[in-house]
Amino acid sequence: MEKTMKLFIVLSLISIFIITGSAFAADTPTFAVYALNSEPLTNWDPAIEFSNGIHVHNNMYEQLLRYDSIEEKIIPMLAESYTVSEDGLTWTFNLRAGVKFQNGDDFTAEDVKFSVERTMQLAAGASYIWSAVESINVVDPLTVEFKLAYKNPLDLVAATGYAAFIYSSKCVNEDNTWIDETPGCGTGPYMLRSAKWGDEVILQKFDGYWGGWQENSIDIVVFKKVSETATRRQMIETGEAAITVELPYTDVEVLKNNPEVVVSVNPSLQNLIGMFNTQKAPLDNVKLRQALAYAFPYQAVIDTVIGGYGQQSYGMVPAGLWGWSDQLPRYEYDLEKAKALLEEAGAGSDLSLVLTYTAGNEAEKSTAELYKSELAKLGVNLDIRGMPWDSQWEMALGDPSQRQDILMMYWWPDLPSPYSFLYSTFHSEDEPLFNLAYYKNPEFDQLIDGGNEMTSSDIEAAKQMFIDAQKMLLDDAASIFMYDRQDIWVTYKTIQGFKFNPAYPTVVFFHELTVQN
Amino acid sequence: MTKFILRRVLLGIIVLLGVAFITFFVARVVPSNPAAKWAGPRANPEQIAKATIELGLDKPLVVQFGKYLMDLFRGNLGNSLRTRRPITQELLESLPATVELVLLSTIAAVFIGIPLGVISAKRKDKLIDHLSRLFSIGAVSLPTFWIGLILQLVFFRILDIFPMGGQLSTEIKILMDIPKVTGFLIFDCLITGNFTILWDALWHIVLPGITIALYPIGLVARMTRSAMLEILNEDYITAARSYGLKERTVLWSYALKNSIGPTSTVVALSIGYTLVNTFLTESIFTWPGIGSYISSAVIGNDYPAIMGVTIFSAFSYVLLNLAADIIIALDPRVRT
Repeated sequence: MEKTMKLFIVLSLISIFIITGSAFAADTPTFAVYALNSEPLTNWDPAIEFSNGIHVHNNMYEQLLRYDSIEEKIIPMLAESYTVSEDGLTWTFNLRAGVKFQNGDDFTAEDVKFSVERTMQLAAGASYIWSAVESINVVDPLTVEFKLAYKNPLDLVAATGYAAFIYSSKCVNEDNTWIDETPGCGTGPYMLRSAKWGDEVILQKFDGYWGGWQENSIDIVVFKKVSETATRRQMIETGEAAITVELPYTDVEVLKNNPEVVVSVNPSLQNLIGMFNTQKAPLDNVKLRQALAYAFPYQAVIDTVIGGYGQQSYGMVPAGLWGWSDQLPRYEYDLEKAKALLEEAGAGSDLSLVLTYTAGNEAEKSTAELYKSELAKLGVNLDIRGMPWDSQWEMALGDPSQRQDILMMYWWPDLPSPYSFLYSTFHSEDEPLFNLAYYKNPEFDQLIDGGNEMTSSDIEAAKQMFIDAQKMLLDDAASIFMYDRQDIWVTYKTIQGFKFNPAYPTVVFFHELTVQN
Repeated sequence: MTKFILRRVLLGIIVLLGVAFITFFVARVVPSNPAAKWAGPRANPEQIAKATIELGLDKPLVVQFGKYLMDLFRGNLGNSLRTRRPITQELLESLPATVELVLLSTIAAVFIGIPLGVISAKRKDKLIDHLSRLFSIGAVSLPTFWIGLILQLVFFRILDIFPMGGQLSTEIKILMDIPKVTGFLIFDCLITGNFTILWDALWHIVLPGITIALYPIGLVARMTRSAMLEILNEDYITAARSYGLKERTVLWSYALKNSIGPTSTVVALSIGYTLVNTFLTESIFTWPGIGSYISSAVIGNDYPAIMGVTIFSAFSYVLLNLAADIIIALDPRVRT
């Protein structure tokens, strides 16, 4: 009796599993997993998030405009068109009609005013991009006007991947804080379905999306943290993940021959630079800086440190962004030239320099070590110090006599403009912030400021000004422009329509994708 | 008995205070500026100055430490520098997944490790003893991350019978409402009677569970074996046998009961060790627990979060040790 009872229970349990299992096999929605190397976001508030959340937020929220940095053109999003006044200080955006928030509310000019004003007021994350804005006026429900304090390309600002999102006022508390995990706060194609903090975010299709949906589009998107690279690789090989990034270069080489996946290599708008301390002896001597730029083993670093996935930079603006030019001169690796220049500079044989890099970054570390061994051949001692970024930065801002000689860091754009690369890093500063070459050149300042003002009226002229400005940096050898890094994406074979846009680093716009079985 | 326990509790509190002291000052000595981290990348000096005041970093170190202790006392571990959210809340969110893994491995340690040890002791130097000892040594000495990767390769990639990672299948997560009562997934499925999800959750816990359980199983088996061997030579065992008691009774109830003391200490300590072991295993099996949390915190230089996890781990160690001590104290021979 007892045995029959047991058998009965086991059998009924099994049948429950089978029935429930087959019930949903029939009409599973299409979903895609994006396997990320760290958590999908660090803050729910689209006004504050200035980190990983770029992946999630760009699928939930939209900007007035987006920027296509491959085609070099503005893409209308929530604004269909815009005009700039003659003096460049009044920007009028004509908003798209019929756009709804995911919670069903109509999208209007009031929402634009609310979002941008709140983002500016919080002054967190990347909100500084709006600093030129003096006031925002609602002209009518579908027209909004921005008054600027000074000339600034507001179209590029409005197209930024962080801090330019338009969101619903219903998702904010009375005390202006964001209500985490409120559904329906954006106008974007995907809305929040569920989330596990620090682990995953699941978004689902917003049926009322103004952009409509193509056939075979993805219903559900899972942003998942998979920190272990071996696991990420297995996931993409078996189709458990639709897309992944940040795989080791050795894995990428193997995956290239795997018919199950597609590997695409694209410019990343991220570059590695080694800023010379132009204000402190001995590197206040331009000849010496030029010698050091010739002694850097550009190709060896690219081949060994980043597995060949990058190219030697032409100046500060990286490949893939307007304002980049292969007409700019480059310092090629040439120890003979370096030696001659060292002698010309009158550097003694006991030259010793301090280079700081961000601890924990293997690429920076290996680069520094390779450079050290090259300099040793010239009798120059390079003291390389890996430090956490904030202490590296503290040293760079501290007592001028104790500062480093060379500071190595990665730079990436906040807005898709060369000004973003040239202003923060080389524009004169009274108190240093990110100009850690302490470079001071009024002509250079004038050129890039002019280029920025010119951006919205004559982009070709602006481009030329940015290129000329970079020429000055190269003549003055203000920095070693080491390499422009490339991003490697691996997608599963069924995923179609994947396009990259380096202006939004590692963002996948899932609305554009389809699944082909 | 009460005096014994009180003394242990007091000792535990001193240990925790020591840990709090060390973590606090180490985190302050480490060359890093929490205010800069709080203010975010590319923050200007004004924003950082504002953050310094917000975080109370402008106050003397002693005052900061006092406030830190007061907060700790209230169960407040401070805010994460990366996410600005309370660390206590973040820990509580990622804790259940880890606890499930640790509990499972502890249950396995007890229900597999102890019988293995007993049988091994009984059949000393027989084939089964050799096999069991080989297994125990392997289980204790093979690195966890290696076992995890190998299990994944064999059972997911080659045989395809177990999932690669995560707590649930993506299909289940997006198609069904996951019960959220206590936050403990398997337990919640049980009490809500949701067997499909339960089945899926059990399916997912097998590989990470084995990876983590191997060490405590091996440890407990070895410990039980040596304790049993010692006891089986005692006079009272010989006496019990000569009374004609069944060998089963002698072994499982007389001898085992007396070897439970050292074994329970080992079990308790292995829970602490297992907790640390989950750090690697969780990242291999994308398990959303504490291990995953601490790895993000370490990579992001999020000192308050690292301190929080450290204090939490120390707290669990102390608590488990105390539990082991109490179990041992139930033995009248230990009460002094």
